Amino acid sequence: MADTGVKMKKPFGDAVFDTVNTVFWIIVLVVVIYPLWFIIIASVSDPDAVTAGKVFLWPVDFSLIGYEAVFGHRELLRSYLNSIYYTLTGTALSVIVTMMAAYALSRKFSGRKLVNFIFVFTMFFSGGLIPQFLMNKRLGLYDTVTLMIIINCVSVWNLMVARTYISMNIPDELYEAAIIDGASHFTYFINAVLPLSGTIIAVLCVYYGVARWNDYFTALVYIRDRSKLPLQTILREAVAMLTTSTSTDAFFSAYEGDTKGMTEAIRKALVAKYCSIVISTVPAVVLYILMQKYFVKGVMLGSLKG
Amino acid sequence: MSSKGITVTNRNKAGLFKRISRAVQRDWQIYLLLLPAIGFIFVFCYLPLYGIQIAFRDYKAVFGITGSPWVGLKNFQDFFNAYYFKRLLANTFLLNLFGLLWGFPVPIIMAILLNQIEWPCFKKFTQTVIYIPHFISTVVMAGILYLFLSPDSGIVNTVLKALGEKPVHFMIEPGWFRTLFIASDIWQHAGWNTILYIAALTGIDPELYEAATIDGATKLQKIRNIDIPHLLPIVVMMLILNCGSLLVSNTDKALLMQTPGNMVKSDIIGVYVYEMGLSKAQFSYTAAIGLFINVINFIMIISVNWVSKKLGETSLF
Repeated sequence: MADTGVKMKKPFGDAVFDTVNTVFWIIVLVVVIYPLWFIIIASVSDPDAVTAGKVFLWPVDFSLIGYEAVFGHRELLRSYLNSIYYTLTGTALSVIVTMMAAYALSRKFSGRKLVNFIFVFTMFFSGGLIPQFLMNKRLGLYDTVTLMIIINCVSVWNLMVARTYISMNIPDELYEAAIIDGASHFTYFINAVLPLSGTIIAVLCVYYGVARWNDYFTALVYIRDRSKLPLQTILREAVAMLTTSTSTDAFFSAYEGDTKGMTEAIRKALVAKYCSIVISTVPAVVLYILMQKYFVKGVMLGSLKG
Repeated sequence: MSSKGITVTNRNKAGLFKRISRAVQRDWQIYLLLLPAIGFIFVFCYLPLYGIQIAFRDYKAVFGITGSPWVGLKNFQDFFNAYYFKRLLANTFLLNLFGLLWGFPVPIIMAILLNQIEWPCFKKFTQTVIYIPHFISTVVMAGILYLFLSPDSGIVNTVLKALGEKPVHFMIEPGWFRTLFIASDIWQHAGWNTILYIAALTGIDPELYEAATIDGATKLQKIRNIDIPHLLPIVVMMLILNCGSLLVSNTDKALLMQTPGNMVKSDIIGVYVYEMGLSKAQFSYTAAIGLFINVINFIMIISVNWVSKKLGETSLF
C-alpha cells in the first residue's frame, strides 16, 4: 500500500500474513507453470526418457524428433494453415461488424430499445444445436469454408463490452462538434471513433481470435471434408480421443508406418503429442501476452460497467 | 364506440408509419451500421428459432422442416420415458453444482490475496501468469489430462508407481470424471475469473485502508472489514447468475473427456444431444431435448434475475 509519510512498524500479524501469502502464491505459480513447463521439456526430450518417467525439471536427451514428426505430418500442417486463415478472416470480420454495431448502439436513435432487445435476447434463449444445424444446412453452409468464417461472427457479450467502452471513453462533445462541422455518422465513426478505440479493438481481437483459434466443435459438427478441418479438430484426433490406449498413437504412427518400423513410429508418437500441444497453444498465448497491456485495462472497463 | 376505436388505431398506425419514416430519414446511417450485426444474429440465432418446430414433428429430410408430420409432444414424452433420462439430468446438474461449490470461491479468495501482495513486480508477474491457462484450448486441456494421467507413460502415474502405489486409470474410472473435470476447470479459469473481483477491489477508496492502518488494523482485519463487504454485492450477483445456469452443458469439454469407461458420470445432456442428434440423426427427438433444456434454463435465468432485483442488487437486464 502507499506509504503515508510516517513509516509505521509492521504489526507482527501482518508479517505472518505476508509470509503465508507469499508462500501461497509461490505454490499457485508452481501449480500453474509446472504443467506448461513439463509439456515444453517433454516435447524436446527423448521419447524413451519421457515414457520411463525420467523427465522432471529439464529436457532429458534433447531431441527434436517429435517436432520432425509434427512438421512432417501433412494433415496437421494443412489444418494449421486452415486455422490461421479462419482466425484471421473471421476475427477481422467480427471486429469490424462488432465495432460498427457497438458505435451505433452507443448513440441515441429511435428503436434503440428494440434493437438492444434483439441482441440481448439471444444471450438467454437459443434454438439449440439441432435446429441450428438443420437451418445452416438448409442455407447451404454445411461443409463450407464460409461457415467457418461467419458462424458466431457477433458475440453479443463482446458487443455490449465494446458499446460500454465507446460510450464511456469518447465524449459526446466530440460528436456534437463533428456534427456541426457537417460530419456524417460514417465519417465520425471512421475518423474519430475507430482511432480512439485502440484498447477495445485489441481486446476484441484477442477475444474473437482466441475463441476461433481454440474452437474444435464447430468443425466437428459442420465440416466433413478433412482438408477443410481446422487445427483443433485434427488435434483432438491426435491427443484427446483416447477410447483405446493406442488410438491416438495411430494418428502419428500411421503416417510413417511404412517407411520406418511401426515401433519406432509409436515411440515418436508420444513426444509428437507434446509437440503438437506446444505449436497449437503458442499463438494464442503469445497473442495474449502481446496484447496484455491493453487487455487488463480494457477487460476491467468492460466488466465494471458491463 | 367501435368506430371510434378503429379511427384511433388508424391514426396510431398512420402515426407509427410517419414516425418510422421520419426515424429512417434521420437515423438511416445508424441502421446501416447495425445491419451486418443484425443480419448475422438473424441467420445464426433467429432462423434456428423457426427450426425449433421440428421438436413437435417427426422430421424426415425428404419432407423438409415444414413438410414433416406433426406429432405433438411425442418427442418430449420419449425423452421423459427414456432409460437414461434421470441419469442425464442428474449428471448435468451435479457436474454444474459441484463445479459451482468448488470453483466459485477460488477466484474470490485469489483476488483478495492478490490484492494484498505488496511487491508490484511480483503482483504483476503473478497476474500475468495466472491468466495464461485461460487461453489454452479445450482440446489441449483434455490432451494434457490424457497425457499426464496415462496409466503407462503419464507423469502422475509414474510418481504413484515410484511411491509403490498401483497406477490409476484416471480417464476410465467414472469416479474420477467430475473431480478431473472440475479441477482442470479451476486450473484453467480461476485466475482469469479473478479479473472481475480485482476490478471491484481496485474501486475501493485507498483512504479507507490508510485510516484502518492508522487505527492499527492488521491485514486480516482490513480484509474482513473492508474487502469482503465491498465484494459482497458482486459476489451475490455472480452466485445468483451461476445458479441460473445449473443445467447448461459444457458439451465441448465433456465430449472430449468422455470415454466408454466413465459414461456413468460423463453422460450429460449436451453430449447426448450431440451423439443422438448428429451421429444417429434423430433430429426431432434431440431438438425436443434441446428445447426442453433451453426453456428450463430460460425460466431459471429469468427467475434468478427477478430474485436479484428483489434483493436490491443490480439486475442483468
